[in-house]
Amino acid sequence: MDRATVERVARAAHIKLTEEELERYSGDLNDILEYFSLLDEAPGSDVIGVNPIMVADVLRDDEPSMDIDPDELLSGMNTYERYVRGPRLS
Amino acid sequence: MRYSLEQLRSANARYGMFHAMADTVEGDFQFSAKDNLTSKGMETCAGSRILEGYVPAFDATAISKIKAAGGTLVGKTNMDEFGFGTFSANSGFEIPRNPYDTDRACGGSSGGSACAAAVFEGHVSLGVSTGGSICCPASFCGVYGIAPTYGRVSRYGLIDYGNSLDKIGPISADAKDLRKFTYMIAGKDPKDPTSCVQPDGFGEDRPVRRVAVPKEGVEGLSQDVADAFEKALSKLDSLGIETETVDMPTLKYAMPAYYVLATSEASTNLARYVGMRYGRQDGDLSLKFDDYFSDVRSRCFGDEAKRRILLGTYTRMAGFRDRYYAKALQVRQAIIADYKRVFSDFDAVLAPTMPFVAPKFEDISKMSALDSYKADYLTVPANIAGTPHMSVPCGYDPDGMPIGMQFVTDHWNENLLFSTAELWQENFTARRPEVVM
Repeated sequence: MDRATVERVARAAHIKLTEEELERYSGDLNDILEYFSLLDEAPGSDVIGVNPIMVADVLRDDEPSMDIDPDELLSGMNTYERYVRGPRLS
Repeated sequence: MRYSLEQLRSANARYGMFHAMADTVEGDFQFSAKDNLTSKGMETCAGSRILEGYVPAFDATAISKIKAAGGTLVGKTNMDEFGFGTFSANSGFEIPRNPYDTDRACGGSSGGSACAAAVFEGHVSLGVSTGGSICCPASFCGVYGIAPTYGRVSRYGLIDYGNSLDKIGPISADAKDLRKFTYMIAGKDPKDPTSCVQPDGFGEDRPVRRVAVPKEGVEGLSQDVADAFEKALSKLDSLGIETETVDMPTLKYAMPAYYVLATSEASTNLARYVGMRYGRQDGDLSLKFDDYFSDVRSRCFGDEAKRRILLGTYTRMAGFRDRYYAKALQVRQAIIADYKRVFSDFDAVLAPTMPFVAPKFEDISKMSALDSYKADYLTVPANIAGTPHMSVPCGYDPDGMPIGMQFVTDHWNENLLFSTAELWQENFTARRPEVVM
């Protein structure tokens, strides 16, 4: 992975990297991706599941519930009139 | 045994197992839990500075079940940030020290949990395994630890690392606790759909009789681990447990497949940490959101978290997804098929848990990221397959450092592991560390 790609990936992941980090991660990630190339020769499978066990559609009962008091949840958050405060959108 | 607050604090000052501690220690029995399980009213940071100050409003299901049984949560245990490590040295907070030699690591990422289980008599600590984070520290700290089948224990309240890999399980110096506490925390929970597909039982309840030792599982071992494992095989033979060497050719692909899946899932899970709602919320709100998020994340994530976010983001990007992520999903199925093939003839697969004993911190600091990843090659296969696996102490090196071996059984067959651990404990003389408090 070259520096330009590391920069692009970091931007997508909302991580700012220093020059030193760019250099270091670029080297580390190259080593790791080279090792990952072992996957190219690995056997495939017709089955693709995102879980290691079969998980059929499991749905909760459609019953309204209030497990946690919203005010308790908000108590640790930076809020304004019960709205979570965030940065500017533009 | 119940410990006073003073004793717990004194032990923590020496070994650094707890990140947060309770103010009172009343109750029938004491337990601790890895700091990536939410605990009502007790700070939960998952080893990350970005969650500093986060005090959950609810207990993780596993913790609430133990509390309901009379347990008192005395502490949240130190760990690698979000579980990203093999030695618990990638923590934003304190690094737990091995009770057998405090210059050495406890293993990771549930290092603080294994440390607590080794130091406090009769103490159970909940660990979480994604790629080996229960068995590795159990092995390094000379205790028993089990990662049950994926989906056996509800993940509600677990701060996700890799959703398709994370498993919660107990660590204890007493093999009997593995059964007792797994039964206590297992079960269907509507708040985690993956827990709702589990069968009612835990499989046949007897020790294993025929065990497969994969050739790939005895390669690359240190001499001390190889010697201890050989002796353990002889001991198993004397207990009437037959062992046979087998080929499991897919195991060599488990490591890259695991790291692709784990980092892909981690990079999406960690996208929620942006300096709002929980943990650190001290960014400059006058910044545009992109800059605000990047500023908080860059300041608060540690080195390994950043590395894994970058890696996981890359392997999911258009143009690379099929080569890495989609292929890793296929490889996982091939590994599961390989295990199932072996389980048609054997009760369990067995190998040493880790290829070496707990390393010294000075040696860990010299390891590259890839060296550290590769140390997990014995624990990763069972984790990517979601099969239950357990580390039991099986010997000591000449310096007295513990060595462990890991049994793996088929999905939903934890009883084979419990019975085997109980039999093993009756026949193996474990050495407790010389604890100083």
